[in-house]
Amino acid sequence: MWGAGLLNGLRITLRNMLRGPITVKYPHEKVELPERARWAVEPTFFEDGSPRCTACLTCVRVCPDHILSLDVETREDKSKRIVRFGYEIGACMMCGLCVEACPFDAIEMGHDYELAVTDPAELRRTLLADVDAASAAKHREEKAKASGEAGEGSDA
Amino acid sequence: MSDPRYEIYEAGLIGEGMHTPPVLPAGLRRAPGGVDGLRTEHLVVNMGPQHPSTHGVLRMIVELDGEEVVTAEASIGYLHRGIEKVAEHRRYDALGTLMDRGDYVAGIMGELAAALATEQLLEVEVPPKANWLRSLTSELNRIASHLVWFGTFGLDTGAMGQFLYAMRDREALLDILEAISGQRMMFNYVRPGGVVRDLPPGIDAKIREFVDTFENVYLPEHDALLGGNEIFQSRVKGIGVITREQALAFGLTGPNLRASGVKYDVRVDRPYAAYPELDFEVPVGEAGDAWDRYLVRMEEMRQAARMIRQCIDGMPEGPHMAKVPKLIKPPAGEVYAAVESARGETGVHLVSDGSEHPYRFRYRGPSLFALQALEEILPGHLLADVVMIIGSTDVMMGEIDR
Ligand code: SF4
Ligand code: SF4
Repeated sequence: MWGAGLLNGLRITLRNMLRGPITVKYPHEKVELPERARWAVEPTFFEDGSPRCTACLTCVRVCPDHILSLDVETREDKSKRIVRFGYEIGACMMCGLCVEACPFDAIEMGHDYELAVTDPAELRRTLLADVDAASAAKHREEKAKASGEAGEGSDA
Repeated sequence: MSDPRYEIYEAGLIGEGMHTPPVLPAGLRRAPGGVDGLRTEHLVVNMGPQHPSTHGVLRMIVELDGEEVVTAEASIGYLHRGIEKVAEHRRYDALGTLMDRGDYVAGIMGELAAALATEQLLEVEVPPKANWLRSLTSELNRIASHLVWFGTFGLDTGAMGQFLYAMRDREALLDILEAISGQRMMFNYVRPGGVVRDLPPGIDAKIREFVDTFENVYLPEHDALLGGNEIFQSRVKGIGVITREQALAFGLTGPNLRASGVKYDVRVDRPYAAYPELDFEVPVGEAGDAWDRYLVRMEEMRQAARMIRQCIDGMPEGPHMAKVPKLIKPPAGEVYAAVESARGETGVHLVSDGSEHPYRFRYRGPSLFALQALEEILPGHLLADVVMIIGSTDVMMGEIDR
């Protein structure tokens, strides 16, 4: 019968109406992001608060859009100082390739998704400025400590 | 009626034959002036690029005789980003980020095409688990893409509700894909050698739950709501017929080709990923009109749901990534790899000169061919049908303009 489909459609729409909303009231409620969600790149730190980055430049070379930059000063004793670790968030596509490439887990993809800014200058972020770069030896030390602790299974 | 403006009606100048489409001599695209004796001027209408019904930034230049289309010309390039040229400066493992932005509604399949091409160059064997994960995410993405088509196709015909319901289901799918890959549309999940991560714990239950409700509740509802609607049926049946010969001549692939009665599916005819081991059917239409394209895509969603369940059940154990050098430098050579994306055969042609960047990267977007066919199909239709015919072919400007 012509029109049966229309009535059936009405029935379906009514049924959907009774199912209730699936949206959230955004600024007041927020959805939980999955653990793997990729947003802005953020630096990570050792427990003592010093950055994990060794200024090896792997991430700078890997980034397809060339938006990470690292100004490094090498002192006489070969230790390095990071003058500025620059990150152009406005051009970042959040692909995660830099994070995957970093051999020291010194950067991670953050979960902060409210990235809009009113001042374009804020799109040029500085991840690290004027800090000593960690050495590979420090990473090794930490690793040894962690495995030692796991072996002993004792104090923190 | 004494008004001189109406004399023309009384003189019988307007009557039968006015609404038959102008017959075009072979090879001639422009009808000689006017209907019958009226000598009305043709009207050129620019549909788009901002017109909401032209799916992105497509501009159709339609020449009208009254309500009838005489010629139609697609003007493309508003979304051009030079993806093929940019790729010549990208490393092989970053090609997927470009493919995501080609067909941005079905990104996984584009990534897969680029990864398959790179693997052919490198001659690496992909572990079985990676193949199954690729098929699983492809099919999840296919449903998400078809849902966008389903919602907007209904919008083109004037229906509204199904769009919201389709977006609700797509949202659930995007949540699943986000949990697997990390992002909702620009996944960057498939890489040369496999996939970048295994499934997160607990996601199979979520996928199973989605597929069960989608297949048993939501999809039949969608079909009844739009396809069961008599007004919708009477509007889409018989319009935009693409014959078998035309479809083949224009190089159509995917649901558009299958709706015209040609059983060609890259998943079956040039198998890749885990498709040889999956059990699914390839729906084929007969008439090649907008209604058949609707039926084929709806059936494809059903088959995709079937495949997702098989993928979850049969997921093998093992590594999800083959051993691939960190800096991919394939030997010099030339390869072509294709996948069946939601719109047809998405192909990647790679030429390598042995360096870390491709020498040439060519992206075959199936929508481009569908759009070319439209120029041939549209003349003779009413203006109101134009948007529906465009909608029925599911063209995606991201991969046309690249
Ligand atoms: S996420 Fe991608 S685009 Fe952004 S900085 Fe890292 S590599 Fe570059
Ligand atoms: S963030 Fe990682 S890859 Fe980048 S310079 Fe620092 S240590 Fe190297």
